[in-house]
Amino acid sequence: MTVPTAAVPTASPAAVLRSEWAKFRTTRATGYVLAGAFVIALCYAYLFGTANGRAYVGSSPGEQASFDPLETAFRSLALAQLLVSAVGVLAVTSEYAAGTMRTSVTVVPRRGRLLVGKAAVVTMIMLLCGPLITLGSFLISQTMLAAQGAPSASLTNPGVPGAIMGGGLYLTLIGLYGVAMGFLLRRTAGAVALGSFLLLLPASAPLFPEWLAEWAVRYWPSSAGMGMFSPAPSSGSLPPHMGFVLLATTVLALLTGASAVFRSRDV
Amino acid sequence: MIELRRLTKRYGEVTAVEDLSFDVRPGVVTGFLGPNGAGKTTTMRMILGLDAPTSGTATIRGRRYADLASPMREVGVLLDARAVHPRRSVRNHLKCLAQSNGLARSRVEEVLGLVGLTRVADRAAGGLSLGMGQRLGIAAALLGDPEVLMLDEPVNGLDPEGIVWIRTLMRELAAQGRTVLVSSHLMSEMALTADHLVVVGRGRLLADVEFDEFIRSSSRESVLVRTPDAEELACRLRDAGAAVRPGAEDTLTVEGTESAVIGKVAMAHGVVLHELTPHRISLEEAYMELTRDSVEFGAAEGSGR
Repeated sequence: MTVPTAAVPTASPAAVLRSEWAKFRTTRATGYVLAGAFVIALCYAYLFGTANGRAYVGSSPGEQASFDPLETAFRSLALAQLLVSAVGVLAVTSEYAAGTMRTSVTVVPRRGRLLVGKAAVVTMIMLLCGPLITLGSFLISQTMLAAQGAPSASLTNPGVPGAIMGGGLYLTLIGLYGVAMGFLLRRTAGAVALGSFLLLLPASAPLFPEWLAEWAVRYWPSSAGMGMFSPAPSSGSLPPHMGFVLLATTVLALLTGASAVFRSRDV
Repeated sequence: MIELRRLTKRYGEVTAVEDLSFDVRPGVVTGFLGPNGAGKTTTMRMILGLDAPTSGTATIRGRRYADLASPMREVGVLLDARAVHPRRSVRNHLKCLAQSNGLARSRVEEVLGLVGLTRVADRAAGGLSLGMGQRLGIAAALLGDPEVLMLDEPVNGLDPEGIVWIRTLMRELAAQGRTVLVSSHLMSEMALTADHLVVVGRGRLLADVEFDEFIRSSSRESVLVRTPDAEELACRLRDAGAAVRPGAEDTLTVEGTESAVIGKVAMAHGVVLHELTPHRISLEEAYMELTRDSVEFGAAEGSGR
């Protein structure tokens, strides 16, 4: 063993990123949940495609005229997003559960850098996997519509590539939302449960008083963000780019809050 | 060099560490000793910036830990060897750590060899025995070949061979001029490793001395005397300048004089002696005496010793 020379800065952002990537790769649970997101998205794309195709065949000519195959294309994302958010949660809470967060903060005492490293890894993974999930959902759902004899869209239809990329970006933001929830709550169960509840809140809008329901569908960040992959915005929702801005701002605010809490709290 | 200045940590009403100041010097092994709950781990966590002190400062070579540019190359830490991702392999665990500080890949294999874990490098870290887990923790601490080492209870769970190994390793590291701070609640362990002692109890500093000095100051000798004329002999011995404490059933504990002198005094005054036993206070006893008032979960009076 040799006595080292003067220390050069080495816990650099790039080194932290490499380490976080290695951690992500060697944590099986996160990989399984991510695989689960693919499975759920594709299975439900199949189910929605089949069900909606059958409904089309059995409906009146008036209803058939207003049928939009793209409405079916990304339905499954509403469910898959729960698992994507859990991927972000697990990237953080698996460290708390194993007790390694203390080690991680010891070797990278700049906690902000650690948080950014984890967020960056989830971003990279989801920028790759997100569009694949939406693309898969699109292809399967449209194939099933066509198989039932209903109109279906192809990749070359106007707005379709944009919606696929928008859906991928939406899932990336949801993954980051999970990271923020993980840092804020530190426990897997709590972060997944609360995280999922908040994502699904707009689904229960019909139970709310009308003014609140309208507000929730229009402005609740997860609901507004879904405009990013709805090719034909319905009357009540924000335009797609506004949905993106609202969701991205919310996620950024949560991450900023998570960072403040993470940096001030004893590990 | 680690410097603590008036370091204090309070959790609400509870004071875990109070006004703690001491230096840990390079080139020697410093034993950080105290009963369970004395604040040793909390102190180490504050040095590492894991817990924020309520007041006071802790610096490593003049800088706060959080300001170190390359933490693993400067400070090697073993806090809780059980803190590993259970299903990650031993090698991958070390790789993740090494990468975070941009350490060479070859260091992972080097430390694996150094702690004797090469054979189990592909096993899940969670499946290691207590002793092997401890070796993994020590491997992680050595990864950056650091100048300063902080080891919290490193011998926990090690087998006798492992204990000798870690003892030798710590001595070697100190001999190379590194700063080694090692905590323990066992005096017997420190007696074999430490050159310098910092003793804490209930979060306060009780002693900060060279080990040899601690031995000298605490190795008082006493003599146990049993005699039917205890009162008479006690008087005579006090006259001769000894400190005498009456014990149970005709016994006296005499300090400040030798057995031979006690025998002579007894003979001169016609006192019959039944027993005359010299007794050297062990390090363990001296340590227990020092920390007696600060043991958090002490056994009821009289059940010890």
